[in-house]
Amino acid sequence: MLQSRFLTPMRLLERAIAPSLRSSQSLTRSSTTTPSSILPRPISATPSPLSSRLLLPLSQVRHASHASQGAGNRHSRDPAGKRLGAKRSGGEYVVPGCIIFRQRGTKWFPGENCALGRDHTIYATEAGYVRYYLDPERHPDRKFIGVCFEKEGKLPTPRNAPSRRKLNRVAVPRIDIADESTARSDLTAAVGADGVMVASVTAASAAQGPQLRPGYMYREANWQIGRAAEKAGITAKPYNRKNRWLAWRKRQARADRAAQMKSLKNKKKAKKGKGGR
Amino acid sequence: MVHCERASKPLLQCLQKASTKGLPALQVSSTRTFQTSARVQEEAQSEAQKLPFNKSPDPALVSSPRLERRLIRQGISPVGSRRRRAALQGSANIPFAQLPYQCFQEARKVLLQDREEKLADITRLREKISRLEARPTEEAGGEQVKKSRLGGMQKHLEHLKVLADINDPQVKKKFEDGQGDMSKPIYRYLADQKWREYRRKILVQRITQMKVIPDVLPHCDPIVDTKLYFNRSAVQPGDFVLANASTTAPKLDIQLFEGGEKLVTIAVVDPDVPNLETDGFDFRTHYLAVNVPISATSTKVDLAQLSVESQVVLPWEAPVTQKGSPYHRLSLFILEQKDSQPLDFAAVKAKESVRDNQLLRTLQGRYHLKAIGAHLFRSQWDETTLEVMEKIGFPLADVELRRKKIDPLPYKRRNPSTFR
Repeated sequence: MLQSRFLTPMRLLERAIAPSLRSSQSLTRSSTTTPSSILPRPISATPSPLSSRLLLPLSQVRHASHASQGAGNRHSRDPAGKRLGAKRSGGEYVVPGCIIFRQRGTKWFPGENCALGRDHTIYATEAGYVRYYLDPERHPDRKFIGVCFEKEGKLPTPRNAPSRRKLNRVAVPRIDIADESTARSDLTAAVGADGVMVASVTAASAAQGPQLRPGYMYREANWQIGRAAEKAGITAKPYNRKNRWLAWRKRQARADRAAQMKSLKNKKKAKKGKGGR
Repeated sequence: MVHCERASKPLLQCLQKASTKGLPALQVSSTRTFQTSARVQEEAQSEAQKLPFNKSPDPALVSSPRLERRLIRQGISPVGSRRRRAALQGSANIPFAQLPYQCFQEARKVLLQDREEKLADITRLREKISRLEARPTEEAGGEQVKKSRLGGMQKHLEHLKVLADINDPQVKKKFEDGQGDMSKPIYRYLADQKWREYRRKILVQRITQMKVIPDVLPHCDPIVDTKLYFNRSAVQPGDFVLANASTTAPKLDIQLFEGGEKLVTIAVVDPDVPNLETDGFDFRTHYLAVNVPISATSTKVDLAQLSVESQVVLPWEAPVTQKGSPYHRLSLFILEQKDSQPLDFAAVKAKESVRDNQLLRTLQGRYHLKAIGAHLFRSQWDETTLEVMEKIGFPLADVELRRKKIDPLPYKRRNPSTFR
């Protein structure tokens, strides 16, 4: 902007001088150059190729190098709006989960029956009517947004009054856990001798026998390898807490390994130090 | 253990006997205080008839975890910290008055002198109080003035009693060993300080964060330490308790930090009983007892053992939570009766026979009670709830609560005519 403003008088000057210069230069070609070219002229108007070539230095062209100047700053100074602010005004009816206010940071705090979202969005946790209020007893200078159950109700409620809550439940016949599992049975997988069954669908035969697996390895599936011991009938000894001999051996092995790792670490460090020097 | 014993080798080592095993704790024969000769011969006879240390460990000296565990299983708790017990094993255990450190003894003299001054102050103040009491009311400047002056003096007297003993190392040691005599003001003061440092803060936080305070009572400033036990296991304020654990009435340990005896009312109130008609919550009193005496020395109160004829208004009712219901807060309040005067049990029993929707606020106003202690535990649906429900005949055992589906707001056009 500034630049263009600065340039306009220069251009005017140029235009004032140019006709005389050009006429002297292009007398042989044409004598039809008029000062009318100073007037604004729509580009879409069909100029003769000749005159357009003549007028080229006069028309307001912004070259790429000029146009890009300051563009980076301009857009960063004026980014797109984030659509923040109140989505529900005071007294409006909201249901649980309804977004009341979007903000950066906590300009407003969640009051009664409201909660704060991950990006500090305030949303309702109960159905009711929105209230914007101050609560000096709770905090001297915070602004709160709350949800009131009654249309004409007032917030904040006094500090020593029992809190007003809603049950929001309905009574249904009790369902035992066993029944629940059958109700959810379409997502249970049963592993039998003949393969995996998900609900009533058998799993694809991808797991049968050695096949080409990721990494160009021709082998069995991982889960089959994992069950090899089971198939072979190898059983591990049950863990005995009171077997202190085993515990001692394990502890010793762990200590040895720790010592080994430590020594390796030191070696690495020493090498690094040498390389640095 | 090794580091423990190493850390505790004090300067006392120079006084240590060549071989001191199985020292009798906290007793030293004054006849042989500074002798470095062996004591073994003298005590040889007594050692012979005694059992070895690992068979009968001394609670004041035991330092190995295994022996400590054995003692605890027997019901004897070890005294003080393990580090100190380990230190005592190797020390000659000389009383403070006989320790050969000059600076220490000079410091002790200063403390003793201060104590003498405080004792003199106490006797002077007592005389002053008795003089004021003897004076007729008109001469003292009216009843109100006399009362307030007496009250102030009594308060100052209690303060002086604490100040007289607060610098005594023996008192500090006894208190830390858990051997403090709660009938004495200094130990009550120390116990109060310790309680306020952590346990009271936790309690106040729990009862305010879980909103027991505005829901059940408008205000409570706990001044007694309350511990709650179900089947001999302690419950922290706000813990979830299994339904079958809370079928029997809990035991309480109410520690008063003031002198004298108080008569209190104990109430257990549940403010979370779901009410489907009103779509809200009701109150239910699970226990109510009046005229329960508590004092600094007698702290144990078993709610099941209180007298049915003169104390228990509403006996214990096991708390159960319906499936799907939000958790129930079972709040226990200890309310001081006005001037520690007993309430008329028969009248209270006649009036407070209903459990449902009996507000503690009303009771508080009706009988001029003041909340001095609180505790809280929670109950929710668990594996044992169903059998407890069957046992106590809970009517809504086969009903479950489900979240009500809330109708969404009506659809709002994204592009109404006003936008175009």
